[in-house]
Amino acid sequence: MPFNSYKDIIEEGDLVLAYINRNHIKPIRVTKDEILNTRYGCFEHNEMIGMSYGEQMGGSRGYGYIYLLAFTPELWTVSLPHRTQIVYTHDSSYIIQRLNIVSGSRVIEAGTGSGSFSHAFSRTVGLEGKLFSYEFHEPRFIEAKAEFEDHGLDKNTLITHRDVCKDGFELHDIPQPFVKDSGIAADAIFLDLPSPWEAIPHLKAVASSTRRVGICCFSPCMEQVVKTVTALNENGWVDVEMVEVAGRRWEARKEMLKDVNDVIKRLKDIQARRNQGLELLKQSRASTPGEKREASNPESGEANPVKVQNTGMGFNPFGRGLRIKEGDEKFEWRDVTGIEPDIKTHTSYLTFAYLQPPPSARVSL
Amino acid sequence: MKNTSIITPNQHALIRLPSEGMKVVELKPDQIINLGKFGSFKVNEILGYSYGQAFEILDDYMVRPIKSLMEDQVQPMENESTQEEEGQFTRKDIATILSESSENNQFIIDVGSQIQKLSSDDIDKLKNSGVSSDVGQQIIDKIIEGHAGFDKKTLFSQQKYLKRKQAKFFRRFSVDYLGGSQLLEYFLEKDNQRVFDMTTESLGLLFSYANVKPGGKYLLIDETGGVILYALMERMNGEGSIVSIHENEHPNHILLRNSDYTDEMIDRMVKPINWLQFVETNAEKINWKDEPEDVIENMKATRKAQYYRQKKRAQDINHVIDLVSEGNFDAFISVSKLHMPSVLPYILPKVGGSRPIAIYSEYKERLLETQHFLSVDRRILAPSIYESKVRHYQTIPGRMHPVMSSRGLDGYVLTGTRVYPKQEGITAVGRGISKKRRAQDETEKS
Repeated sequence: MPFNSYKDIIEEGDLVLAYINRNHIKPIRVTKDEILNTRYGCFEHNEMIGMSYGEQMGGSRGYGYIYLLAFTPELWTVSLPHRTQIVYTHDSSYIIQRLNIVSGSRVIEAGTGSGSFSHAFSRTVGLEGKLFSYEFHEPRFIEAKAEFEDHGLDKNTLITHRDVCKDGFELHDIPQPFVKDSGIAADAIFLDLPSPWEAIPHLKAVASSTRRVGICCFSPCMEQVVKTVTALNENGWVDVEMVEVAGRRWEARKEMLKDVNDVIKRLKDIQARRNQGLELLKQSRASTPGEKREASNPESGEANPVKVQNTGMGFNPFGRGLRIKEGDEKFEWRDVTGIEPDIKTHTSYLTFAYLQPPPSARVSL
Repeated sequence: MKNTSIITPNQHALIRLPSEGMKVVELKPDQIINLGKFGSFKVNEILGYSYGQAFEILDDYMVRPIKSLMEDQVQPMENESTQEEEGQFTRKDIATILSESSENNQFIIDVGSQIQKLSSDDIDKLKNSGVSSDVGQQIIDKIIEGHAGFDKKTLFSQQKYLKRKQAKFFRRFSVDYLGGSQLLEYFLEKDNQRVFDMTTESLGLLFSYANVKPGGKYLLIDETGGVILYALMERMNGEGSIVSIHENEHPNHILLRNSDYTDEMIDRMVKPINWLQFVETNAEKINWKDEPEDVIENMKATRKAQYYRQKKRAQDINHVIDLVSEGNFDAFISVSKLHMPSVLPYILPKVGGSRPIAIYSEYKERLLETQHFLSVDRRILAPSIYESKVRHYQTIPGRMHPVMSSRGLDGYVLTGTRVYPKQEGITAVGRGISKKRRAQDETEKS
């Protein structure tokens, strides 16, 4: 069960994430005699067995490497096969925190989609909690169900093929370990549906009647939000608020420190060298008047200012014309942050609301 | 076990006020809680309702449950009649109040406070008129009546005006469960420095990237006084352990008192250790030897108590030192002002393979320095700095827009995965590799 326990040593049959680079993480099931072939080398599964999680592994043909990582929902979000638009960690982590989803929570999720959020929910609610996931698209449902079983999510996750907008959320054959108060009794609900307002009226039947229940509706368009807010208000949900999450990734970089005094010094150097060159030229002209070409011949001209610049000879404080690695010790650097080149300016709007048990449900303590 | 769904005596709770103010209170039965201008109420009045319930304050510290804190109209709750008492102002409904409005602001002339016929003395008189229930709404009705230009306002600006007055005069409050997120929200408002300006979204990011789950064994630096520790314990729901490193002789987890967790649970989950003990494990281990039974028997009561205290302390310290020596932590989580390039050399060997680290700072520059340190160190794979910022909206259909102002500071979370890089024998695929590969293929062929 990769999501509910930690492991140190890789065994046959384990699910391993082969980290190739930041954008390439390949999930593999460690199987005897199989080989992982990538553009970055070939890796034998046999060799992985017995290695530690987190170990770097060299390619079997002497080049390339991968890191062997254990599954986490966050790494999975980067590596998973997209069946639909996925919920990224910036959104999912905020939703979990804001709705107070913790170990033991009972959560409804519709639809399942690519299942990236399902993994995060399942991990967070643990074996004490439960996740009820619904998907109306049959091929996606079949794929997700198999994946959940493969990843060991089925211990706390129940996936159902259902159009919740039409048929609601109630289940009649819930396995006993999943039952609470003879039903689902959800503490938190996440709706990632094209028309959440059609599903909202069905929620009262499955929301816990003994505590405040939180909901988050995830919709990309403002028009959807307006309809959702209206439906939430009409169905007795309170404290309705819509937000959006802006997520950014920054990288530490180094930028060369360029002092203007060095610029001036370099200009002076160039000037001095040019003058020296002209002097040499004059002298050579004086001695051999016919041979004009030799002085400007790049092969022989140590006095040629262009050549000086390109080879870094002379005073060359910023390494012009040289290939310089960022952070090269021969130069001075300043630490800077660069933002990722493509940022997600919009994922979806998140509409939060709460359903309060009626005051008549007050218990005497 | 604490109750997370019902307002329970002797637990802490978060009170929210119409002004968006907050208050953390302990609900001691028979006590009266004073909310300043919003009124006072008796604790017993609210016990037994679900967390999240909103109330209106009535006479004699009584309350009645209402639908929500800022709902425009006080809706009659079930099993409750809506009779209006004789001789009092009758409450107008919102539709009537707002029926007279203007298309635009063409006819609004700014005459300052003269526009309001009701003086502040009049309002004070109303406040003290003894009509407690609903007095807020009545004051608002009077203010609107006394406002000469109210009907010249547009519908939108009328509603805005109304909301402002409601935040001021409503005698309402709601009682929320005080979880980690709520405690953080409270301190962000009251004492933001204490929690290093951390927002809910940053806390969520920190815990998700740290892959927090029940049963884990985590290494934590929490310099907020226990807010992060509480939120982490809440996530883990009593399962697993947290080794909490602190820089003073004794840990400061003072804010854990808001958690209502039992001492037994805190003892079981939280293992404090100071930096000296963490770094010099062998020297700091206590060599404890039990006294013989008969010696203990003959001790005086005070000496005996002292003996058992010392024994427990020795056992606790040795236990946490063993946990640290064993290493293999499931994550390292830090919310601290310590210089990370000096901290991480001690921490990284203790983090298990393929387990994450997640470090929070309110300043990107501090994490930038840390990321550079890690890139050279190589024991953390793909370190990156993440930033998450929530934009809140005014959520009223037809008038949706982002709120006009919000907090300026964001926080940042640096995360990456602990790995074991090979010291040698690794050739990256890149420049020159195809030549090398060809050469290899040649030798294989021959």
